[in-house]
Amino acid sequence: MSSVAVKLPVKMIINWVGLWTIIRREIQRLLRVPIQAFLAPWISALMFIFIFGYVVGSRIATIGGHRYLEFVLPGILMMNIVNAAFLQATSQVYFQRFMKYVEEALVAPLSYAEMIIGTLAAVVFRSISTAFGILVIAAVFGGVKVVSIPEFIFWVLVVSLIFGLLGMAIGLWAKNFEQLTVLNIFFITPLSFVGGVFNTVSMLPPWLKWLAWGNPFFYFINGLRHSMIGFNEAPEPLGIVLSLTFLVILSAGVWRLFAIGYGLRE
Amino acid sequence: MTPALRVSDLRKVYRSGTVAVDGLSLTVEEGDFFGFLGPNGAGKSTTIHCITGIATITSGSIEVFGVDAVKDYREARRLVGLSPQEFNVDVFATPVQIVDWMGGYFGIRKPERKLRIAELMERFELTDHLKKPFRALSGGLKRRVILARALINKPKLLILDEPTAGVDVELRLDLWRYLGELNRDGTTILLTTHYLEEVERLCRNIAIVNKGKIVRQGPKAEFLAGDGLEAAYLGATGAKPDHVAAGAA
Repeated sequence: MSSVAVKLPVKMIINWVGLWTIIRREIQRLLRVPIQAFLAPWISALMFIFIFGYVVGSRIATIGGHRYLEFVLPGILMMNIVNAAFLQATSQVYFQRFMKYVEEALVAPLSYAEMIIGTLAAVVFRSISTAFGILVIAAVFGGVKVVSIPEFIFWVLVVSLIFGLLGMAIGLWAKNFEQLTVLNIFFITPLSFVGGVFNTVSMLPPWLKWLAWGNPFFYFINGLRHSMIGFNEAPEPLGIVLSLTFLVILSAGVWRLFAIGYGLRE
Repeated sequence: MTPALRVSDLRKVYRSGTVAVDGLSLTVEEGDFFGFLGPNGAGKSTTIHCITGIATITSGSIEVFGVDAVKDYREARRLVGLSPQEFNVDVFATPVQIVDWMGGYFGIRKPERKLRIAELMERFELTDHLKKPFRALSGGLKRRVILARALINKPKLLILDEPTAGVDVELRLDLWRYLGELNRDGTTILLTTHYLEEVERLCRNIAIVNKGKIVRQGPKAEFLAGDGLEAAYLGATGAKPDHVAAGAA
């Protein structure tokens, strides 16, 4: 008969070991697919930085006193942070549901908050790893500048969390792999491209400028760009308030989905 | 004494409108080895899913050792171990990872977890397969991993949903022996199975569920009296074996 005594924590307020397990499990899963999770965005960013920042950029005059490479890097970085956060959250939630191993968490003494925070921590890990790799690549081309580290951290974290939460909602809603990509194809990619990754709003044709101002990606990219090179096209507080509002609404929404067991419990 | 499990007037209606469990009530006393029988689609797995939190309940109540499994779900979950019918695992993970993650979810600290995993791997003869991905294991080995995972937290109530489906005779006999030991050591066991021989050998009390309701419940001896468990089961579920049906026609 078994002899090992198993001590379960008595009346847990926070199941710290459980929370850490959610995070390390997902990191272990990510490390099983390093090419897809890390190398792919780094190579893609390398191409963008090399072609747009270095080759094309060398023939473009400065924008707001900054080299084109410096101008375009925050946009490329933001695009990759958004993608990393969204893909991480959708794949983590959807694969758990698809392979049914979400039931392991459901039968365990884990709270909704621990499940959500654990998932978001893995999202932030992937976003930061992706961003760090891109910064290293950009440094090789001499394009990295960060004028405000706190502001830079704010934008990386807040945008990761926003798209992590959005990805979780999609991961809970999706019934098949096709549906996982819907938001990315029809919303994230187009809006990030017209949100000022490669250009300023003033470069857009007049009829498209209104779209930039109504595009949340514009504020994310603008915020990150401001933190890196000090270039700003929109009032900074507006971007911050808008982003925090998104964060609060999405947090409440995802919390509600977990509480009612949407997509999780039968 | 507080029962290990008390299910009162449980009702589960799926979003599709299907009534899977319809006013089911059940009490399993602490230390019991309880057989929960019924035909496919009777509501056994749904009831288990409601007890363990995989499914939400529509109405009714569930208590595990007196703890409300809905309102105080975290406390209730700590007391339960589940070996489900389906292999609900990350098939690319190894047996050690699968059991380790589950132990972590239960809040078991690393040093204890390591010892417990080593013990379970040895107990279920998985030591030669520690680094193989789950998907590369045979059906019997997969079942052992699922059982080891269910036991990582030393549950007071162990729920086994068809644990011997698809396993060979040797493992089945070994498992029966092990479950008997666990039960003698105080673990309450709720077992669903289609093997009546398993129930005859292991269980002390039995409930038969059909169309979401308990249709018969009592000590095993009552079921064995007369024409035996099979006849009692068929009588309770209203089913007829082929040869009886053919004879009647």
